[in-house]
Amino acid sequence: MSGTVIIGMGNPLLSDDGVGIAVARAVASRLTGSAGTSAERSGGELTVTELPTGGIRLMEAMAGFRRAVVVDAMLTGSPPGTLHRFDPKGFVTTKNTYSSHDTDFATAFDLGLLAGVSLPEKLSFWGIEAREFDRFGSQFTEEVAAAVPEAVERIVAEIAGWEGAP
Amino acid sequence: MTRITIDPITRLEGHGRIDIILNDEGQVENAWFQIPELRGFEQFCLGRMAEEMPVITNRICGVCPEAHHLAATKALDGVFGVEPTPAAKKLRELLYMAFFVTDHTTHFYALGGPDFIVGPDAPPSERNILGVARKVGLEVATEVIACRKRNHEIIALLGGRSIHPVAGVPGGWSRAINQEERDLIREVAWKNIEFARFSLALFHKIVLKDPVYLDLVTSDLYLHRTYSMGTVDASGRANFYDGTIRVVDPEGNEFAKYHPSRYHEEIAERVEPWTYLKYPYLKKVGWKGLTDGMQSGIYSATPLTRLNVSEGMATPLARAEYQQMYETFGCKKITEARYQPIHHRMATHWARLIELLYAAERMQELALDPEITSPDTRAIPDPSRFVGEGVGSVEAPRGTLTHHYQTDERGVLTRVNLIVGTTNNYAPISMSIKRAAQKLITSDTPEESILNRVEMAFRLYDPCFSCATHFLPGKMPLTVTVRDPEGTVLRQMRRRG
Repeated sequence: MSGTVIIGMGNPLLSDDGVGIAVARAVASRLTGSAGTSAERSGGELTVTELPTGGIRLMEAMAGFRRAVVVDAMLTGSPPGTLHRFDPKGFVTTKNTYSSHDTDFATAFDLGLLAGVSLPEKLSFWGIEAREFDRFGSQFTEEVAAAVPEAVERIVAEIAGWEGAP
Repeated sequence: MTRITIDPITRLEGHGRIDIILNDEGQVENAWFQIPELRGFEQFCLGRMAEEMPVITNRICGVCPEAHHLAATKALDGVFGVEPTPAAKKLRELLYMAFFVTDHTTHFYALGGPDFIVGPDAPPSERNILGVARKVGLEVATEVIACRKRNHEIIALLGGRSIHPVAGVPGGWSRAINQEERDLIREVAWKNIEFARFSLALFHKIVLKDPVYLDLVTSDLYLHRTYSMGTVDASGRANFYDGTIRVVDPEGNEFAKYHPSRYHEEIAERVEPWTYLKYPYLKKVGWKGLTDGMQSGIYSATPLTRLNVSEGMATPLARAEYQQMYETFGCKKITEARYQPIHHRMATHWARLIELLYAAERMQELALDPEITSPDTRAIPDPSRFVGEGVGSVEAPRGTLTHHYQTDERGVLTRVNLIVGTTNNYAPISMSIKRAAQKLITSDTPEESILNRVEMAFRLYDPCFSCATHFLPGKMPLTVTVRDPEGTVLRQMRRRG
């Protein structure tokens, strides 16, 4: 099993929908000092993945990793920019973690277990409340852009905590 | 009028809503399928260099980026007036076959198949891929995951990157393959053929040999006698990557055959006030509303209609299965290889498995082609042949996909038009929903059956509303609202997606 994967979900061309990808990249860059997709470092290998759709694809994206963080845009009615964290037990479907062409993430995860796929021991989901998600554009709205640094901080801290644990 | 509304629970997760309109006698008068549009796609593209399109449009939809990548790349061949080398065309098609295998496999096991394998009235919590595995054996789960994995690896190898391929360039393909890579692809293709045969055997055993399920496939619940559309090669056989668009009428007579670049002469789009998505129809037949038959210009572009227009399949195992399907439906041969069209929409699931087998066999053919390892994968565009306009078309798993670009003399985009697979089927999907409603609304049908029969109408088309509205896929939960003529809610049924 490899180290940690950070999966940024969404579409970078669809305004706030791309925030998960931006956060994932920023976390990787903070932890490795590199913007590349994969880097060796003291805490073990860190891989960053951009993923447009959920379901089985999301389960596959975390296969073979010991730890996984998923970051996605979401809409729950909270003020734009609000940061949410879920663990798989309290799983809430975020904007892109379901695929209308196969299944939801929970079913995909069970499918992976059934098929003997090696899945992460540590897994968390982060959602950032979006405001504009149905207009093409590569800019975030103000509130969402402002939420990025805190999201990065908290995810970096979570990964550091996981990797530091015995 | 009584109105029944089926809409997603939240604005975020569905972006689609169904209104079923009843008349005063309580019978279904119409079914409207409303899809709000995403804004600004064309504006986002205009002013960019045309060469960016293969990597922009492959982000329109996370489900079939490969289809958009290839349609965009082919449109660029047109814009730059360049004919790709034979090796380039074969590499593009090879990637595309690996994609078709994963897409059709996933649809059958995760989405379409559970209705048959687990049962149309099983609880939704069981009617999924886990239910399929419990019913036919846990090793199926392993096989599906293994099939996806090996083909995703080939897509990444050929496309230069997983998920969002980057290898398509005007006039060719930026990634050649060596002997060793070809051997790997050949091995994957062979496994794909075995798996497609296993899947068809499963379909025969569980569905076709069971009178109840056979009845479901051949029932007239979703029968619509529309025109059929698909892409065919020079011999008139189905091809997913390239060829001529062929349309046959509901009796199976050839109605039109045209180069994809002439789509605007054949296809018109009906605008209705209740939806942003336009209804495409055959211009020369005309729009007669949401109705089928010879006089209605509504056509379908699905796995089933691709087979309806095809002079048999180009590969041997798929050809045999094709014959068996048409003979099961009692269709008569109308040419040497082609049969009368099948209009039972549930047969789309069978057709999809036949296409899966074809894609696997075609992948093997291409892997065995001596030219596939040629380093000559690109024709460099000649500036003096620059055209400034191009149409690229492929058969996406969900129907014919067309990209049309116009540029100025520098290659900067001035116009972008896309007709995506699901858009072609907008009218037939609406008709299937209407039909399901007609059968179910008048009786005391249990809630679960109504929801599921409406969902089955969707599922057989595997629609990508997301893509049709230039949007990413979302959740498709259903809310069915029954209202009296004054709009008061009488009954509400909900299922979270």
